[in-house]
Amino acid sequence: MFLEVRNLTKIFTVGFLRRKEIVAVKGLSFNIREGEFISLVGESGSGKTTTAKMILRLLRPTSGSIIFKNRDVWSLRTLNDLRWYWRQVHGIFQDPFASFNPLYKVDRVLYQVFALLGDKDADKESLVKEALEEVGLRPEEVLGRYPHELSGGQRQRLMIARCYLLKPKLVLADEPVSMIDASTRAGVLQLFSKLRDEYKTSVIFITHDLGLAYYVSDRILIMYKGSIVEEGSPEEIMEHPQHPYTKRLREDVPLLYRKWPDF
Amino acid sequence: MVSQLLRDLTRIKKFDLSIAIFSSILMIGLVGPMVYQVNPTKMIGPPEIPPSDKYPLGTDSYGRDLLAQLLHGIRNSIYIGATAAAISLAIGVTIGALSGYKGGVTDSSLMLVTDVVCALPSIMLMMLIAAYLKERNPMLVALVIGITSWPWVARAVRSQILSLKSREFIYMSKMAGLSDIKIIFQDLLPNMASYIFMAFVLLMSGAMIAEAGLSMIGLGVTRGVSLGMILYWAQLLESVRRGLWWWFIPPGACLVALATSLLLLSTALDEYFSPRLKGG
Amino acid sequence: MTLLEAEHVKAYYRVRDGFVKAVDDVSFHLDRDVIMGLAGESGCGKSTLVNTLMMNIHPPLHLIDGHITLDGNLLSKMDKQTLKKKVWGILVSIVPQAALNALMPTKKIIDLVRDVIRAHMDVSDAEILSMARRRFEELNLPVEALNMYPHELSGGMRQRAVIAISTLLNPKLLIVDEPTSALDVSTQKQVLRLLIDLRRAGIIESMIFVTHDIAVLRQIADKITIMYAGKIVECALTDDILYNSKHPYTRGLINAVMTPEPEVRRRGLVSIPGEPPNLLNPPHGCRFHPRCPYAMDICKREEPPLIEVKEGWTVACHLVALGKR
Repeated sequence: MFLEVRNLTKIFTVGFLRRKEIVAVKGLSFNIREGEFISLVGESGSGKTTTAKMILRLLRPTSGSIIFKNRDVWSLRTLNDLRWYWRQVHGIFQDPFASFNPLYKVDRVLYQVFALLGDKDADKESLVKEALEEVGLRPEEVLGRYPHELSGGQRQRLMIARCYLLKPKLVLADEPVSMIDASTRAGVLQLFSKLRDEYKTSVIFITHDLGLAYYVSDRILIMYKGSIVEEGSPEEIMEHPQHPYTKRLREDVPLLYRKWPDF
Repeated sequence: MVSQLLRDLTRIKKFDLSIAIFSSILMIGLVGPMVYQVNPTKMIGPPEIPPSDKYPLGTDSYGRDLLAQLLHGIRNSIYIGATAAAISLAIGVTIGALSGYKGGVTDSSLMLVTDVVCALPSIMLMMLIAAYLKERNPMLVALVIGITSWPWVARAVRSQILSLKSREFIYMSKMAGLSDIKIIFQDLLPNMASYIFMAFVLLMSGAMIAEAGLSMIGLGVTRGVSLGMILYWAQLLESVRRGLWWWFIPPGACLVALATSLLLLSTALDEYFSPRLKGG
Repeated sequence: MTLLEAEHVKAYYRVRDGFVKAVDDVSFHLDRDVIMGLAGESGCGKSTLVNTLMMNIHPPLHLIDGHITLDGNLLSKMDKQTLKKKVWGILVSIVPQAALNALMPTKKIIDLVRDVIRAHMDVSDAEILSMARRRFEELNLPVEALNMYPHELSGGMRQRAVIAISTLLNPKLLIVDEPTSALDVSTQKQVLRLLIDLRRAGIIESMIFVTHDIAVLRQIADKITIMYAGKIVECALTDDILYNSKHPYTRGLINAVMTPEPEVRRRGLVSIPGEPPNLLNPPHGCRFHPRCPYAMDICKREEPPLIEVKEGWTVACHLVALGKR
């Protein structure tokens, strides 16, 4: 097993006097193989972003474990161990603007990761240029600029270029295209497929959009209220959904070539 | 970016006014003693003379030149204010940043320390320390004020850090393997630079008033002059009741002008930075 | 029968470096009993357009030029007082973006209802309560919600309550701006059903539905208008837009939709190269020409006129104007 998530649970306690418990993720278990592209589909409140942060070792789980290459991710302590992990497992978030520190030029986001690669003699400039070209960005257009000078699509592509630079074993993308214009989404989506096709990078793609998941995934996992309720190939999910939530999801997605019957 | 910032700031009237008032008094304090070379602590004339040609601001009960006192006093008061503010800022930012970023046990223990220092009546603390030291130079007075005035800064910095640390760009720096210290100094604090500067201005304003307070109860500098010390002697020799207005009005007015201009500056900065933050 | 007519409307935002031409010479026509979808990507000016159409304009937005007539009333010449008294809430109502998050947290739903009704009529509390109950029942909304605070209701319920309150006085035209973008699909369907019921029940006559989600429009809109960079590029019946669109941008936008259907799967993932332009300095000529696969010389120099190719079908494209499509 490449990455295995076992019984992952996250409970948030909120409130000052009367402490309330919110169960964001409940006993989540799934696994992913090398070079596999899976989608975690769920609506807001389903716990998918919380799951992503736990797998990326950014938010501590309440219980359960995440095993990567036979090592428990949350038992890693030293900075070197952590760097080993993030060299191979990396993340991309939803908001292309918030992913940049507004005070620095966008180059920083790319050059930062050389610390993980550890190759002192690397020709950093040409590696960076190569990565930018792979995602369809022209180096002259984006290098040396501040985040607010670029468009949302360019910023998100820059983030993906960071992954092309690292070529990690696993990329976790949390709603990477939801804040990008509809007419340019497909292009950005294909960059993830390319990472998988060319570099055998596994992808965990998190989205609320069943349509997107349908087109890029090998396997779709449906999340509801913190747990996985159904799992299957895109065809299985669309043609033979088993769980009532999946069925409802499929019925309520607005389609282009079919009208809802009672409308 | 900085020049654009200054250009935009000077468009705000409050900013211009406050900077004008503060820097003119500062200039007087820096240049004055070199131009008007009279010793402020020596008796140089008859006592309690109102302002005249020979003594522009008159003399006090000990025959000392009050203009000389004022000029030296401005210098020392600003020095003490700035130094105390710097000390408080350093302590407050360090504790607030570590507390906010690390969380857990570090957070709880540092906040406990903060609460204790906050709860202690700072005047009492300052009095105890100041009274224990026989000789008090400006640096020591600044230190005393500095180590008691930082709790609000620590709390404010901590809450800013708490809200900033779950922003995606912090996650990106974490995943790039940056150490905690690097993230605090490279990512978090620069994004709070405007707040830190405002805190400094406010601290300085408060420190100058604290210095006056300490001096008025006889715990100010033992050598040299500060605005607070002038007021101390003026109050000791009952200048108000006896109508020796040239003794207490100039230093009082200067102190108020300095403290108020700093407060005005902080509101001007706040006005400039806040809508930015909201617009994001 | 025309309900809303807008001619050569220009609405710009005044910024430090000039004007952002959010709505640039737009002529818009809406009949009675029509649900019109207004689609386009972020920054195309659709929100600005609908707010301008009901004269909901404040600086830095200014109406530079144009006439707007609603139900025979010349809105563009009215002052704010008249608009507040005679137009807003009565002839036209808008549910703005993120309305469900803008509700006053310290007022119950019934209080909001009271505010709206009292602004236009002098009626007793009991009357107000019974009007509200009747309307909620008519729309299949739980009457208990009237007595709750906004935070006690789910996102979907809040949005439906806002829609019900906006239409209490039966405005002829309802404008909804991205009403379902923040909602999950099942809640979205509920809200859409409510909007359709409003027309079916005769509470509103026509509706303008602003969104970037074409699939949603396909389910409820009779006609669709496509906007790009401050201009209208095509307007036609929904089926025509979906299957026979004439403007290259419309075609590109339809092709970019990714719904889990075999037809879309056969077509594959398609995107339009480049990005929507900055409205401070839009391109010369046709604003879409830098991204258009069919751009000709004239497209770079002259703006294409909006022509009617068939009854109710308008397109702004030189290819169409020159008879090549």
